[in-house]
Order: sequence, then structure tokens, then C-alpha cells
Amino acid sequence: MRYEIRIDGNMSEVLAKVFPELDHVVMSGQTILYGPVVDEAHLYGLLARCQSLGLRIVEMRQVPE
Amino acid sequence: MLVGESSPPQTGVVNVVAVSDETPHGPAIPYVDPLGDPFLRTRFAVPARPVTFLRRERLADHLDQALLTPLTVVNGAAGAGKTLLVADWAAGLGRPVAWLTLDAAVQGPVMFWAHLLQALRAGGVTVPGETGFPVDAGEVNHTFLTRLAAQLSGSDRIVIVVLDEYDRVIAPEIAEQLEFVLHHAGPALRLVLVTRTEPLLPLHRYRAAGTMTEIRNAELAFTPQEAVALLELHGLHLSVPAARALVDRTRGWAAGLRLCALAAQESPDPEVYLKEFEAGHSTVADFLLAEVLKRQTPHTQDLLLRVSVLDRFCADLANALTDRTDAEPVLAGLHRENAFVEDLGHGWYRLHPLFREILRAHLRERCPGLEPELHRRAAQWLRRSGWLPEMLTHGAAAGDWEFTARALVDDLAIGQLLTRLCSDDLADLLAGMGPEATSPATDLLRAACELSRHDLERGLAHLHHAEQQLDASGPAAARLSCALLEVLAARLAGSPRRAEQAAAAARELQREVPAHLLDRHPELPALLLTHLASTQLWAGRFDEARAALTAVAGSPGGASTAIAREESLGHLALIDYLDGWPSRAERNACAATSEAERFSLPQPCGSGLGRLVLAAVAVDRDELGRAQALLDQTPDAVTRDPVTAAGRAVVTARLLLARGKARAALAAADPAVSADVASPWAEGHAALVASAAHLAEGRPDAAAEVLRQVAGGQPACAVGAARAHLAAGDRLEAVHALDGIAAEGRVGPAVRVRATLVRAQAANTAGDVATARRLLAEALQEARRERLRRPFLEAGPWLGPFLASAPLQQLAAGWLTPGPPARGEPLRPAAEPAPLLVERLSGREREVLQRLARMMSTEDIAADLYVSVNTVKTHLKSVYRKLAVNRRHDAVRRARELGLL
Repeated sequence: MRYEIRIDGNMSEVLAKVFPELDHVVMSGQTILYGPVVDEAHLYGLLARCQSLGLRIVEMRQVPE
Repeated sequence: MLVGESSPPQTGVVNVVAVSDETPHGPAIPYVDPLGDPFLRTRFAVPARPVTFLRRERLADHLDQALLTPLTVVNGAAGAGKTLLVADWAAGLGRPVAWLTLDAAVQGPVMFWAHLLQALRAGGVTVPGETGFPVDAGEVNHTFLTRLAAQLSGSDRIVIVVLDEYDRVIAPEIAEQLEFVLHHAGPALRLVLVTRTEPLLPLHRYRAAGTMTEIRNAELAFTPQEAVALLELHGLHLSVPAARALVDRTRGWAAGLRLCALAAQESPDPEVYLKEFEAGHSTVADFLLAEVLKRQTPHTQDLLLRVSVLDRFCADLANALTDRTDAEPVLAGLHRENAFVEDLGHGWYRLHPLFREILRAHLRERCPGLEPELHRRAAQWLRRSGWLPEMLTHGAAAGDWEFTARALVDDLAIGQLLTRLCSDDLADLLAGMGPEATSPATDLLRAACELSRHDLERGLAHLHHAEQQLDASGPAAARLSCALLEVLAARLAGSPRRAEQAAAAARELQREVPAHLLDRHPELPALLLTHLASTQLWAGRFDEARAALTAVAGSPGGASTAIAREESLGHLALIDYLDGWPSRAERNACAATSEAERFSLPQPCGSGLGRLVLAAVAVDRDELGRAQALLDQTPDAVTRDPVTAAGRAVVTARLLLARGKARAALAAADPAVSADVASPWAEGHAALVASAAHLAEGRPDAAAEVLRQVAGGQPACAVGAARAHLAAGDRLEAVHALDGIAAEGRVGPAVRVRATLVRAQAANTAGDVATARRLLAEALQEARRERLRRPFLEAGPWLGPFLASAPLQQLAAGWLTPGPPARGEPLRPAAEPAPLLVERLSGREREVLQRLARMMSTEDIAADLYVSVNTVKTHLKSVYRKLAVNRRHDAVRRARELGLL
């Protein structure tokens, strides 16, 4: 599974390192984290990580391989 | 406040006593959690509000509704200001609140409820000891929840429980249990959940019924006016339109605004700074935190980053991480400025969870590779301070197993570890130990892990590896730890010889170990003795085993030796049962289970032997339903422990025999454990079951044969053999078999009654009716005291006519044969006319009776009717009296006969 998580705001490089397994790109006031997600557990783990860092998720979707 | 308006609880009996002047910051709390840690007091303290806290009346007013609805959920993102809102509200109530801040260490229902009980105590609610803490196989049982709900519902004041960081609760059953208690505690309980995610309670139902107060993220968001007021508190003056832009940018997020204020405070022109921030696009917390951080002095920055690896810290611990000595003023300063650090009281602090996460990211960025070192230092500090469990967590996080294991072994904590290993989290922690750790201490740790989950082969392999490296000059504490594990391994292997060798070595080593170390670990000698006695019991050396077990069972009570005491009492109960003393066995078994409940021991730690013996006694009394229930409650896992496995096999087989399932009993009688030496009683009982099965299927010769093969001298087997001989028509052989028993002094009523019954049958077969009647009277008199019904049911139909005629009829009536005896009436219960109901049942009594018929327990009935357990008992008593019965089963039957149900 590949996912794309769109986060409100430009994330700093430091914070992006909390998601070492994902790539990120900053564009127009949003940060997109994208990359492979192993399974549901991983997905919920990512969500929890966002929540614990106070990040606001704008959009999240599965993208074709 | 609206306290006066809420409806007071209805019930009259008060079980929960409020101590209104007791504050949460009372004296040290003596209780320990199920894992034996002293409770971290900071979990139960209402968090302090910083000076810059802004009280928002609209939220406080809304929260006052919490006093009127059973459930309140304060739901919002990290840093939305949930905790402080509720803490401020709770502090303003002017009465104690049971507060519990959950964290990652409070996992699973057992830990959760233990902590909740502790929060109630800390909140001035007296939780009576009788609530107990019945825990089965890591689960919280229904009776406990029912009792707790009943006690809360009987409270004379409203109990307010706040669970902060409820999102940490993962186990879905906790939500169910909480819902159950909330429902049954009625109006006396007000539950406030503070959480980032919606709890798994049926919220829609509460919403539909209007019984829930809900404060969500949108409501927690600051309005521009509130933002102005908040910034005022930080010494910043902003116009409302300027604040509106700021609120738009942060979406009114409390943490964002707070960081804004801190960052702006430090900048040369706060107004301009805030304007610039508004125009930016960075993620709010991330950006602002970096801003605030970089304005701190390098020392302060360093300290903040380093303590981000800790859940909680005090100045001294922070110093240990920074290699400096200035943490105290720095922390006090940070707290005063409301920057990152929260005061937990008692000199302890924590970072705001949100900031902590971000700071950790910064730590990794700035000092890559420092994290393990920080964990190591924390572990060392925690070890010096005697915080063993926390030391373990950080030692594991540091990956420094050599240090962690050595610390544990040198501190002689191996026994403590064995009792704690039952909790999965610790085992999981140890599972992270890589193969590169090869010191004797790490091998001992691995051995303890394997042995505690009864993996004998792997446990022994690690243990031998450790022993090879530890020669006679090795540290005494390590060698003593080896000896303890050896005794445990010998117990699992059923080898009294090896157990004795290891125990003798341990006795020598105890002299070499510093006395103060031994004094701190009373569990070590207690476990040694218990495991040794268990192997002696296995080998049938009851007297030696009993002496050791009695010593352990009588040792002074403390949490550390609770498991050893529970196990010893369970073993003593088994000896009593095997000797034929059901009442004594019952007393010891009850003492064992209550010991487990008193110290909230998770069930897998003990062997559950107490419950097995209670089940066995229930079978002897022909209370088969109860026996089955008890058997179902013991953990079903295949155990390597020979005594427990054999005990379970005996009970299961006896129960199946009593139910007439001879084949199944035969299959269940084999404990299927491999042991170094054979156990005479285990073999004897297996043979007895086989013999009884043969008898039941009409093969008396085979029945006698199986008992001939087992080692002689066991009274119970002799009685079984006599029965078989008699059934085969060999009366003289039967009497001869019984003659050997009389000399045995320790033989108890369960065996004696059976022996007397065989003699009576022999006399009856010989036509000597007078002797048969005399012997029967003897058996009845002896059995009545112990309520031993099963031997008479086993004895067969020939008893019937004897029991139906005077004077034996009177001896049997009431406990063996049903119904109160009425002179001159025929005994057959079916023929007995139902007595007229002299007194009419009251409405409440009828309600209780109806629930009784639905198989509800006293506690369940109490919870269902919103009355106390004692009230239900009173109703039951009068129901029994009016129906002329003395058991609930009879009450239901009688009520059905009379058409009352």
C-alpha cells in the first residue's frame, strides 16, 4: 500500500525526520508525506504520530503503486 | 456550583465513606499496583495550573453540567487545553476528586482497575477491602465490577472520577467494563474522560438520552477575545482584530497560542513578530517550538532536549542526564515562565506531551546517537534510587542489557523478577534482548524468562550457560540467583533430588550475601522453600512439604512474598485434600485465593492451585456446578508444573466421573506431565479414577487390577481396591484391604467415610443388617459435618432403603436427602407435598427471587436492583425462611413448585 498524507502547514526538516520511512515535499502551505505503508497497524501508528506532534491532517488517501 | 441540585443517591446502606477533608496530597499511599511498584503518586494528583492559566467561564459553566450527567467527555487535539480546563474545574469544586492520569505503563484491565481503585482512595473515597481485586488470568472479573458499582451506588455523596489521557487506554474491554460500572453505579458516579480520541463507549446512547456532557475541540478553541486575555497574562497587548488573525492562523489552538506568546515575549517587537507569524505557512507547533527553544540559553536547550527521553523527572535525574548541577533553578524557571515544563508536585516535573514529542525530534536531529546514552544514564540513576521497574524500561531502551541484567542480579532482584515476569510487558521488554549480550547476568535473565513461562529446556540451557561462566569465585548474589532458578527448574522437572541440592547450595550462599540485601528481598527465601516443598509434595513426602509450606504461609505479610504465600497455601490445601480433609483444604484454599486478591496478584503468577482444590472439595460435596465454575476459572494453559497439572487432572476426572462420564474421566485422569520421579498420589488417583470407570462399566476384576499395580500404602487406593473386591464378590478380600487403613493417623473424613461405607456394604451383603446400619450411621455422622455427599452417591443404590428408614433418615435429612424431615412422612422428595406458604412474599423479595431463578449472583442482583449486597442478603434470608429452605437452588425449586415464578 502506498499512502499520501497531506498536512496543514510547512513542516520543518527536523519534524519530517519523525517519519523516516516516508518522503515529504512542502508545497503551498502544506506538507505531503508519502510512501509505502506496511499495513493497518502502520497506518494507525502514523496517524497517532501526527496527533502526538500536533499536526493537522488535511487529507489522506491511498495512491496506486 | 451545582452540587446541591443533583439528586442524591437513593439507597440507604452506605458502603463508600467519604472523607471530605482528606486531600489527594495525603500521606504516602501504602498500596502497590499489581506489578508490585509503589504507585507513582503523580498519577493521582490533580495537575497544578500555571500562573498564566486563563480561566474561561463559558467552559467552566459547561463543565459544571458534568455534575448532572453520568458521563462527561472532554475531547480535543493534543495541546487543546483539556487537562488544565478539567484540573481547574476540579480544583474549584471544593471537594476531593478521584483523578487518574493514565500513561503507557497502565496497560490492560488489571492495571487499569488497580489504578482506578487507587485513584478513588487518593480521592478520599474509602474502597472497602471487601471489594477485593478478583483477577483471573489477567482479566477483571464480573463480580469485582459489580461490587465496585454497588459500593459506589451506595455512597452518600457523588463520587467524581476524572480519567486524564484516556486515549492511552487501548484495550476495548476496559471501555466495556467502565460502561458497566458507570451504568450500575447509578447517580452516585460522575465520570469525566479527558481524551484525544473518542472513547469506545456507546456515546450515541448517552447523547440520545441526554446523559452526557460533551466538550469538543471546537468549543475548546480560543475566541479572539480569549486570546487577547491569554496574551495579557503573558504581558502582551493585542487588539481584538490582531488577535482574530492569530486565532485564524492557530485555529484557536491553546498550545499554539501559548507558544506564540512565549516566542513573541522573547522577540524585540512582539506585535511585529506575531504579524509575521500570522503570514507564515509553517506547521504551528513545530515552528513555534523551534522558535521558543532557540531563545533559551544553550544550557536550558540542552536540558530540555535531554529530558525529553523521560516520562517524568526531578532535578537530580535531569542533572544525571546533563552532567551538570543546575537543573533545579532551570526547571523552576521554566515552570514559572510556563515554558514546556509542568509541575507534578513532590519535586517532579514532566514535559507537556506534545512538546516532548517535538523536543525528541529535535534531540535526534541535534545529537544523533545520544538517546541510548541518555536512557543508560537514566537507568543508572533509577537504579541508585531503587526504582527497579523504571530502570528496566530505560535499560532496555538503551539496549544496555549487560548493565541492566547485572543491576538486577546484583540487587538480588531475581525473585522479584520471577513474580513480575508474569506480566507480559516485562517479558516483551526482555524479548528485545539481542544475542550479543552474553554475560552470566543476561543468561540468568533469559533463564528466568523461560522458566517463568515453563519452558524448561530453554530455561535450563540458559541457566547452565550462566553457571559455567560463574565459578565459585563469582558474586554470591549471582550464584544465589542461579540456585533459586535451579530449584524452580527442579520443581518443573518434578525432581526432588535436584531441588534439594540446589536448595542446600542456596542456604550456603545466603550466608555469603550481604545481610541488608537479603533483608530487602524476603521473597527469595520464601520462593526457595515453596518450590522445594512443591517437589517434595510431588514425590509424596507430605510431612516435609507441609513443614516448609507452613513456614512460608505464616511468614509476615507483604506484597513481595504474596505469591509465595499464595502458592504455599494452595499446596497445603492440596495436601489436606489428598489426606481427605475437605474443610481444612477449603480453608487453606480460600486463604490462598484471598491472599492473591489482597495483593491483586495477576492470576497467571500463582499456580491457581487454591481454586483447583476448591473445585475438588465441591465435587466431594456433590456441588458439581460450582466445581465446574471453579475449574473454568483457573487458567486453562497447559502447565509444566507437575503438581498443578496432576491436581487439575484429578479434579477434572473426578468431576467427569460424578457426571457419569467414565470414558472421558479416564482420558482426563492422566496429567500428561513428564517428571523425573513418579508421584505416588498422582498415580494413585489416576488408578482410582480408572478403577471407578471400570466399576461403572461393570468390570470389577479390572477395577481391582488397576489398583493392585500402584504403590501400596495409600488409604484412598485401599478403599478403592476394597470397593472393587466387594463388587467382584470377594467380601473377605475387601475387608482385608480396609484393615490396613485404620492405623493411619492422618487419614481424614473423606477417606474414612468411604471406607466405612464399603464396610457397611460388606456387612449388608453378608446379611448383617444391624452392623450395616450402625456403620452407615457412623458414616452419616462423620460426613454431615463436612457435607460429604459424593461418597454416598458413589456407594450405589443399596443405600436407598437404609436412608429411607429411621433412624438413618434423620441423619441424612437436610443435607444428603432433600427437604426438612417431617415425622411419619415418606422420604421420597417427589412424594413430599409442598408445604403451604405461610407468609406472603413481599414485592422486593419476589424481585430478588425472580433474579435468583435467572442464575444471577447476589452481587448481580444488588447491582440490578440498585441496592446494596447486604440488602439483597436480607431479602434472601426472609425468602428462604418463608419458603422453608436454606439454599438458593432449593428456593428456586420450591418457588416453581408453588407457582411463584
